Amino acid sequence: MDNKINLSQLADLLSQAGGMSKSASEQFVKNFFDIISQNVLSDGLVKVKGLGTFKLLDMEDRESVNVNTGERFTIEGHQKISFTPDADLKERINKPFAAFETVEISEEQANEIAKMDAEADAPKADAPKAETTKKEASKKEAAKKEVARKDAPAVKDVTQKKSTRIILKAALWLCCIVVILFVSGYVFWPLIGSKLLELSDRYITDGKEIEMISDSTSTAQPYKTEPVKAEPVKTEPIKAEPVKTEPVKAEPIKAEPAKATPAKAEPVKAESVQAIKTLKVKLTASDEAKDLSEFTRDDVVNYVIDGDLDLYTLQKGETLTQVALKYYGSKKLWPYIVKYNNISDPGKLQPGARIRVPVLKSK
Amino acid sequence: MNNKQFLTELSGRCQMSADSAARQVENLIGVMEKLWQDGDSVSLSGFGVLEVKKKNERVSVNPSTGVRMLVPPKLVLTYKPSSLLKEKLK
Repeated sequence: MDNKINLSQLADLLSQAGGMSKSASEQFVKNFFDIISQNVLSDGLVKVKGLGTFKLLDMEDRESVNVNTGERFTIEGHQKISFTPDADLKERINKPFAAFETVEISEEQANEIAKMDAEADAPKADAPKAETTKKEASKKEAAKKEVARKDAPAVKDVTQKKSTRIILKAALWLCCIVVILFVSGYVFWPLIGSKLLELSDRYITDGKEIEMISDSTSTAQPYKTEPVKAEPVKTEPIKAEPVKTEPVKAEPIKAEPAKATPAKAEPVKAESVQAIKTLKVKLTASDEAKDLSEFTRDDVVNYVIDGDLDLYTLQKGETLTQVALKYYGSKKLWPYIVKYNNISDPGKLQPGARIRVPVLKSK
Repeated sequence: MNNKQFLTELSGRCQMSADSAARQVENLIGVMEKLWQDGDSVSLSGFGVLEVKKKNERVSVNPSTGVRMLVPPKLVLTYKPSSLLKEKLK
């Protein structure tokens, strides 16, 4: 693997395969490539059956931009040797991937793929892999079920048209997501769990608030209880998954309590703790644990709003989290935008809405 | 230069018959193919490097219809001319 084979090694192999003497083989290989390089220069084209075509191409002048300085400059016309492998050879080389076909996908899926690609650049590749091998079998099954259930409407038409390969691919991706979610649940469970205990203590001592609690907890309950229930069992990610699939819908509903949190610098109330927790669960789910290690409650309460940064017009299909990501580099800071614009229901924002983006200063 | 001219030239230089030259060319390509399939690259001074590269999957958009296609990953045989050869180009 990954060896560089030079002339003499190639000649050795050829003499074994072709029954020529070593020196004759070496001469043969040398001539073989000499003829190609000489004639591609003089003729501009060399065709070798079984290997491919070498061609001399004239490149015209073209304008380009220096990526560092932004200056325009011309790349002068030059010549270049192109190589097109023989169709047969090309096919045989690509054999390991021959089973894949180009498929049509919807815009939604394309976005999802782009998102996943971006996240795959991060450490994702190594960390989940180790886990995947451990629990691969059960995870894969879980993921497959997940595909059938969750993605059914979206993927259906594609799968009908094009084979089960997509499902397999989706299953693989879901595997990764599931692993990440599993890890996120594992990491945040102690955090959330201890908060819960703390809260319940507080409520018991403060009898008057009990009514309020039942209100606020009832909204937050679905989110909290999920990781709780799921933790001991391995299948937790499956339950957690639905949260992720609807981050856009889920966020706005709960946005109001969340928005109050960062602005109120008062001692943190039971209510706002609750809000932060729901927010946290949502965010970790929707973030797919991308910035797991960095994510603490501090991210959300550690800034104060300090004047206007920009006026932004919302594009179709864009969410406030995306705006936050764009300006602050973090999806988690979207509640500040909600607060600054006095948006009562972030779920009802229309495309084209003008949004003032605040400057954030850390406290 | 087509394949026939190539074989004639090669057989002339190596002082062998055109037939045996053709057979040896087949052998040589077969040997190289095996190397490529094992992930090795063939590097010759004065000529360049022939190696197999993996192209990642990507989403391509048909500019006229806006249809998005998921292009699968593939293995492609690539050629990079040596700097010596490049210098001879204009």
